[in-house]
Amino acid sequence: MAQKKSSHRTADEKAAAAAKREARRARTERSRAEAEERRKKAKRKEQLTRFGLIGAVLLLVVGGYFLITNLGSDKPDTAPAGASGDYGMVVGDADAPKSIVIYEDFLCPFCGQLEQTVGDQLDAAVEAGEVNVEYRPLPFLERISDYSPEAANAFAVVLDESGPEVAKAFHDLLFDNQPSEQGPFPSKDDLVDLAVEAGATEADVRPGIEDMTFEGWVNAAGDAASKAGVNSTPTVFVDGEKVEGQTMAEIAEAMVGTGS
Amino acid sequence: MVGGVKDWFGLVARLATGGVWIAAGALKLPHPADSVRAVRAYDLLPEAIVPTVGHLLPVVEIVIGLCLVLGVLVRGASVVSALLFLAFIIGISSAWARGLSIECGCFGGGGEIPDAAAAYPGEIVRDVGLLALSLWLVVRPASRLALDNVLFRTAHDPSTDPTTDHITDHEGRCLDGAEEELAQDR
Repeated sequence: MAQKKSSHRTADEKAAAAAKREARRARTERSRAEAEERRKKAKRKEQLTRFGLIGAVLLLVVGGYFLITNLGSDKPDTAPAGASGDYGMVVGDADAPKSIVIYEDFLCPFCGQLEQTVGDQLDAAVEAGEVNVEYRPLPFLERISDYSPEAANAFAVVLDESGPEVAKAFHDLLFDNQPSEQGPFPSKDDLVDLAVEAGATEADVRPGIEDMTFEGWVNAAGDAASKAGVNSTPTVFVDGEKVEGQTMAEIAEAMVGTGS
Repeated sequence: MVGGVKDWFGLVARLATGGVWIAAGALKLPHPADSVRAVRAYDLLPEAIVPTVGHLLPVVEIVIGLCLVLGVLVRGASVVSALLFLAFIIGISSAWARGLSIECGCFGGGGEIPDAAAAYPGEIVRDVGLLALSLWLVVRPASRLALDNVLFRTAHDPSTDPTTDHITDHEGRCLDGAEEELAQDR
């Protein structure tokens, strides 16, 4: 089409048009190159920003990681006097025909129910020399409240200072006075009061309860339970076998039942 | 117009996934030992790396969450977010399949141990939804009110980015003008 139209023009007109076209093209070319250059420059700058941001994010992650790994308890996991080697307290005759291990959390409502259901029968069985029981308190619900590790620590303090009998009484009192998971949660003062009620001397147990003396041991107990595959409380072992019962009655039966 | 709606959806996706990560990380952060135990409970990773993963997880969750909420490095953060959700879905599914009760069986007040497994389907549905939102952002990271929009103007397609549409369209208009000229020549 353009070819046909230009055939009417003179050679000069044709040349002028061609030159104009050429100039226009060069201008376009130039502005395009400039735009390209600008774009490249901006790209480079943004690339730098991007690497900077990625570096900052990685730094945040690494820094946070070191912070969190050093956040853990710096207290040694020294065991309280009278504790078993497995972060628990054994009551009853070591040679009893039946051995029961209870992993429990003083805040866990179901642990409280288990205690209400089988506590008395268990105590009687221990008394009669039929079983021995190892209570292993855990800071399992520390996510919900500090009361969980605080109560476990208080138990360790009482065991250390006042011996297993007072500790067992304290253990029972903790469950008798168990707070709801929704709170309000007893303070450390309340724990001291309960310990005194159980038979401990206030001056002996108050410092340990307030300073979380056995925090390291309590945390180690949590880790040991986790490594043993205990992921819920209460978990009961009878003669080394995990009780797989799903209901209170089944667990109680396995612990104190007379059946097979 | 469609691009605008998608940008708003991108913002919603960012806030939803980012918010979940920040909340999840913030809950775990004060209790590193608890986080390690939770990782161990799934019984999927070798014990040698369990503590590292348990400590790293809350930090990564919070950082990724912040990136998404602020709109910084959205695509990269979304890739990590999607991978994490995928890992969680695999973890929960496998725990479910193996009959593990990961959550403490303590929360119910009833006479029986509440079945922790009952919560698994809901958790998986939630994580699949969040995974889908993360994948959306991987494919289309552009969104409203993102810091990336300010930091990376050229990286965005002007037709989908409202901020570059009118203000920084200079180069694009240059090209358009040149093309018009060329077209007139023919």
